[in-house]
Amino acid sequence: MLPRGKPVLQQAEKPFRDTIHGWHRLCFMLGGSKSSPLVRTYQPILDGREMIYHMGSVNAQILAIDAGGTMTDTFIINDKGEFVVGKAQSTPEDESIGLLNSARDALLYWNTTVEDAFPQLVAGVYSGTAMLNRLVSRKGRRVGLIVNKGMEDFHRMGRAIQAYLGYSYSDRLHLNTHRYDPPLVPRELTRGVTERVDLFGNVVIPLYEHEVEQAVVDLLEQQVEAIVISFLHSYKYPAHERRVRDMAKDIMKKRGKEVPIFASVDYYPLRKESHRTNTTIIEAYAADPSRETLLKIDKRVKEKGAKFDLRVMASHGGTISFQANELARTLVSGPIGGVVGAKYLGEYLGIRNIACSDIGGTSFDMALITQGDLSINTSPDMARLVLSLPLVAMDTVGAGAGSYIRIDPNFKSITLGPDSAGYRVGVCNPAGGVETVTVSDCHVVLGLINPDNFLGGEVKLYPERAYQAVKEQIADPLGLSVEDAAYGVIDLLESQLRNYLESMILGKGYSPSQYVCFSYGGGGPLHTAGYTKGLGFEDILVPAWAAGFSAFGCGAADFEYRYDKTLDINVNATAGEQEKKDAIGELQQAWSELMDKVADEFEKNSFPRDQVEFRFYFRMQYQGQLNDLEIESPIKALRTVEDWEVLVHAFEETYGRVYAKAARSPELGYSVTGAIVRGIVEVPKPKIPEEPLSGEQPPTEAYLGTRPVYWKGKWTTADIWEMEKLKAGNRIKGFAILESTATTFVIPPGYETRLDRHRIFHLKEPK
Amino acid sequence: MANVQSEWAVQSKARRPIGFQGKTLKQMREEIDRLSRETGHYAGLYELPFKESDPIRYEKIFAKLRGGVVHARETAKRVAASPIVEQEGELCFTLYTPEADSIVTSTGIIIHVGTMGAAIKYMIRNDYEENPGIEPGDIFCNNDCQIGNVHPCDVHTIVPIFWGDELVGWVGGVTHVIDVGATAPGSMTVGPVTRYDDGYQVACRKIGKNDTLLRDWLIESQRSVRTTKYWLLDERTRVAGCHMIRDLVLQIIEEEGIDTYKQFIREVIEDGRRGFINQVKSMTIPGTYRGVSFVDVPYKNLDVPPYARVNTIMHAPSEMTIHKDGKLEIDFEGVNRWGWHSYNATPVSITSGIWVMLSQTLIPNDRVNDGAYYASRFGLPYGSWLNPDDIRTAHSYAWHFLVSAWSPLWRSLSRTYFARGYLEEVNAGNANTSNWLQGGGYNQFHENHAVNSFESAAEGVGASAVKDGIDHAAAVWNPEGDMGDMEIWELAEPLLYLGRTIKPNTGGYGKYRGGNGYETLRMVWGAKDWTMFFMGNGYMTSDCGLMGGYPAASGYRFEAHGTNIKELIDKKLPLPLGGDPDPGNPQYEKLIKAREIKRDKQAITTEEIFENYDLYLNYLRGGPGFGDPLERNPKAIETDLNEGHLLPAYAEKVYGAVIAQDQKGRWVVDEAKTEQRRAEIRQERIKRGKPTREWMKQEREKILNKQAAIQVRHMYASSFALSEKFTNHFKQFWDLPEEWIIKESELGIPVFGARNQLQ
Repeated sequence: MLPRGKPVLQQAEKPFRDTIHGWHRLCFMLGGSKSSPLVRTYQPILDGREMIYHMGSVNAQILAIDAGGTMTDTFIINDKGEFVVGKAQSTPEDESIGLLNSARDALLYWNTTVEDAFPQLVAGVYSGTAMLNRLVSRKGRRVGLIVNKGMEDFHRMGRAIQAYLGYSYSDRLHLNTHRYDPPLVPRELTRGVTERVDLFGNVVIPLYEHEVEQAVVDLLEQQVEAIVISFLHSYKYPAHERRVRDMAKDIMKKRGKEVPIFASVDYYPLRKESHRTNTTIIEAYAADPSRETLLKIDKRVKEKGAKFDLRVMASHGGTISFQANELARTLVSGPIGGVVGAKYLGEYLGIRNIACSDIGGTSFDMALITQGDLSINTSPDMARLVLSLPLVAMDTVGAGAGSYIRIDPNFKSITLGPDSAGYRVGVCNPAGGVETVTVSDCHVVLGLINPDNFLGGEVKLYPERAYQAVKEQIADPLGLSVEDAAYGVIDLLESQLRNYLESMILGKGYSPSQYVCFSYGGGGPLHTAGYTKGLGFEDILVPAWAAGFSAFGCGAADFEYRYDKTLDINVNATAGEQEKKDAIGELQQAWSELMDKVADEFEKNSFPRDQVEFRFYFRMQYQGQLNDLEIESPIKALRTVEDWEVLVHAFEETYGRVYAKAARSPELGYSVTGAIVRGIVEVPKPKIPEEPLSGEQPPTEAYLGTRPVYWKGKWTTADIWEMEKLKAGNRIKGFAILESTATTFVIPPGYETRLDRHRIFHLKEPK
Repeated sequence: MANVQSEWAVQSKARRPIGFQGKTLKQMREEIDRLSRETGHYAGLYELPFKESDPIRYEKIFAKLRGGVVHARETAKRVAASPIVEQEGELCFTLYTPEADSIVTSTGIIIHVGTMGAAIKYMIRNDYEENPGIEPGDIFCNNDCQIGNVHPCDVHTIVPIFWGDELVGWVGGVTHVIDVGATAPGSMTVGPVTRYDDGYQVACRKIGKNDTLLRDWLIESQRSVRTTKYWLLDERTRVAGCHMIRDLVLQIIEEEGIDTYKQFIREVIEDGRRGFINQVKSMTIPGTYRGVSFVDVPYKNLDVPPYARVNTIMHAPSEMTIHKDGKLEIDFEGVNRWGWHSYNATPVSITSGIWVMLSQTLIPNDRVNDGAYYASRFGLPYGSWLNPDDIRTAHSYAWHFLVSAWSPLWRSLSRTYFARGYLEEVNAGNANTSNWLQGGGYNQFHENHAVNSFESAAEGVGASAVKDGIDHAAAVWNPEGDMGDMEIWELAEPLLYLGRTIKPNTGGYGKYRGGNGYETLRMVWGAKDWTMFFMGNGYMTSDCGLMGGYPAASGYRFEAHGTNIKELIDKKLPLPLGGDPDPGNPQYEKLIKAREIKRDKQAITTEEIFENYDLYLNYLRGGPGFGDPLERNPKAIETDLNEGHLLPAYAEKVYGAVIAQDQKGRWVVDEAKTEQRRAEIRQERIKRGKPTREWMKQEREKILNKQAAIQVRHMYASSFALSEKFTNHFKQFWDLPEEWIIKESELGIPVFGARNQLQ
């Protein structure tokens, strides 16, 4: 939501990836004003004619909601894979009002109404930034914290890493820029209770129960609105936290003043107290208050005839019910929409390994889908806090279309980003008031984007302004021509993105040739050829709806719960049968526990256990290591010693791939450090477009003429095509530029692209 | 036998030189030195033809190399078991030219940009090319300080990179290992007074061939250290990272061509040199800036050899000269002699370590390479603690004084930033990055173990000229500081946390105060045959405030043995939990009974036996302050009081605040009365003050009569012994008679090493 300049997020001085997201970007590109229907409606099978929808003829299927601080966007997808976008002012006091206004706005383009369309809907997915805003602006509940006596400072001290999280490389080094954000719970609302449990779960100091009442009463007297309990190693020994929880409930009842209470072990039974405590506090501080909002939205939508239970996008890449126990994981969902969409599309197309790449105004986001699964980071950070949520692992580089380009005055080196002009585009957009050259300015100089048709002509760009700025700021200092400088900047940008993409895949232990690259986001297709050049991807795919891909992804997310638990099961290299048996026994028990937890969640939405598809994972490392690997168990129920060997084999194989075989250390023995269970139930998802194949020759009405483009040291001519008017089966040879209102797809000389039956372009690199 | 020998002789003679154009590495090294010296430009590059003609391609190569080196570090570190490496990031990878000049380095402990380079230069100088030979697939190891290292626990893995038959570079990886088999457990142990106590020393040895570690090496090294698992995985981390970077370089050469690569590696260093000079010019003002720092070495009562039982002080005067042409010169003339302790340093740890500090303030970017080294000059007096003239010196905690010696450099730079108006860049100096909690024995997993807590990676930061320094946040050797999670440290250490608390008053007072440190109280739990010791400044503060700000608080130690904590727990009675906020009014002792409690300024100790339920207080220091405390905003004092950052007595005494508590116990500062009180204090100051000349006269008398503690006299005597220039300057300044001198021999304490040096 950043591009729309929401004041709250501007308080964060550093860009952080929570706020950057393809869907949002598209929304911003569509602008706040009324746009032309062409801009607003994606009609993949339009066939060049204006399609007229009649009331009731549109079979609206899926509603995806993005509620930002200022605007609420809705995407409504029909049974043919087409979608419309609606916008309305957000109404924070009752989000359902803004939502319904926005849906009304969207449905206008299909000439229908909320009342008519909602009863047809089969699914609704919500994603919003209200919770993140509440957190970032520190406007959550007044939370009290009970911790071990002697540790009352640990939460406010935070971790020093939180003083530079989200910083650029340069600022991470630059000590005087480091700063802490205020703690979520101040010291005065923190109380200690004597107890200590060691890392094995042994009670070293029993719970001093006589101290509990005073702590609870103190906090209540300070008008706390919720209480969080977090003791060291509680994931190993939950009894003390739960005892305090139950005592607190009794004390509150007795005093006639009850507030919600959160024991960390009931939510995140995971090692690392900073992560676990931060996340549990967020549950109390920002997530739980959001539950009421979601309840109200669900109710309002149902009043309009909807028959589905509203689901919320969650950090692990699935959607969950707003009734879920752990709601903090819906804190951030935006950036992962595209990855979830890629996973869904990949499943449909039978592609198991996907490198996702997304360029928007401010950043380049990458993620990998390997063997059909997203990578999950189990101790990520968001909003400058370390957390213990499972988050779809994404690498974000502060380099997008709006990124600033500067020449370091002292080192004479070219720096790209990390800051960005965002929605203000660049110097070429006088209304934006930008003075520093951006990547978009270079695009304009080179003729890669049409200055008169930027965002469908909504924003007029001035090439001469871009030219002058590039000349003064980049070309002259480097001693290059303006065109060469602009071309060089793009070349450097793409080369850096290529390095990141390659490193990420190699770091996983694979090579790009084993992956298909998906390129999307408003700015993605402009650079697809550049950042994939020479990497040897198996295929390169650009969905024609690239700019709306994240929204599509939100609608395509599974209904899925994922629960994690920390374990410490050590099996030496010389271990006998009994030790191995004990090990699988303990892991199996953890799986059973987590399976129950997942099943309970689904029951809230009336899905019986037998409808849930369960998947079992374990985390393993060599004994003594600090980093483990998450591996899906090839076996769903562990029984025999042979099963243990199967787990070890799966681990060894992955380890050797990720870190090189020489780094394997079986002589140290193994540790199982965690159990994970995922449960998934079938939910309706958007249709993927399907259209009959036409010939290779594109229709003449799709041809828009030619434009001079500067490419590799000379001005040359590119064919310009209108993306929406191309038909399945069409082939286009470079040099060509495919234009759509929200994205531009460059086919360099020698390259070729083909549009398939699902309206996905395949980019072919010359040999 | 004779046959084999002669065959070998033939082989090594027939070995072709592996440098560029048939040169030996030694010839290449000499040529680079000569050209750089003669021209003032690295490798004689007056121009940068590649960068100037094709800046984009140049940047692309740089980005690829730099990104690859950083990525290798991130990936490889996950192999390690040691929280020091994995959690604290104590590792670094650097790429070198064939002559061992650094091209590009990763993040992390970048002091080793220079140390690994020094090790490679040592191999070049000693004709390793002939014997033992340098071949593709070789792996070398070094941790010898006097060859090229800071302290022996930083272990280097060095791998040559060949393109065909030609050596085109080197890659080095370093990790801070948890134990090197020194006299006591822990990586930076207290107790060594000579090299022979410092632990396992590997002097540029070939340890692997064909990318495989040799078995004899694996056996010997595993038998030489206490923590074999950590050693093994650390080594695998280094090898994995080096090989990733080697592959990257070969890929770049394949893509760009060998000639381009060769040109690039020269230009990028000259480019780094120029960039550094430009940065100095745009941030600073030419001139000479002086500073000094001291740190205590209280060894008189320690369990060390008799000749080392001396209380003394390490002395680091520094003079930073910024020349009009942007060149930087740092002269340590006047530093005192090395000593029989493990705080000696090597020239490379100073020349290279300074970049660690400068990259946090003057040059916070990714262009740190040997170019900056070529743009600077250092004066490092021979025979001093930073350039010992004796093979016997110990170095296991060289940082003890490195961190102190750099604090004046922050201040010198800050003065020039201040003069130039860059107030936000001002930093009153770094904290003394201690205490170091170390020790070992049998741990909670029944393994032979050593511990070395890196909670010290999050000390208080020096104040700037516009705001307070941040609390518990960084260490000068690692700006990306972190204290880590307690649950992770408890995995690594059989020491239960009984507290983790911000420590009030530890940051230096000032208009803007230094960041406060913190403290953790640990109870030994699950250990057997366990010892621990303390390492930090105790009697002296090793920094100094800036422009009226106070220095940070110094250290002390608290340990309790034979406590009744178990009984207290059984009876559910109050326990010592949390911090020791006011050491002047200790509380722990009121709660427990113990056979022995040590609470004193002896903050450096050797091994003590610890049993379960014994206590150890780990106190991590604060940073120095900026500006007169009387100018501090009363509201800030109020906040500090209420948040436990300041003890009330000091709000009154140092800040002149008039304070009271409200009904709820919250402190309130009366601003009007405070203003009045401050006016009085200013009057008192004027009354107490006297003209400098008068004060100097009194001081001069004391100097003439040598009225000073033995430590002070010993410190100056050894500085005088090393530098006539310093002696003359001192005498001139104090207007002392020609014959006045203090000699080490007149002090009546052991002065081993002062007369006879073993090279």
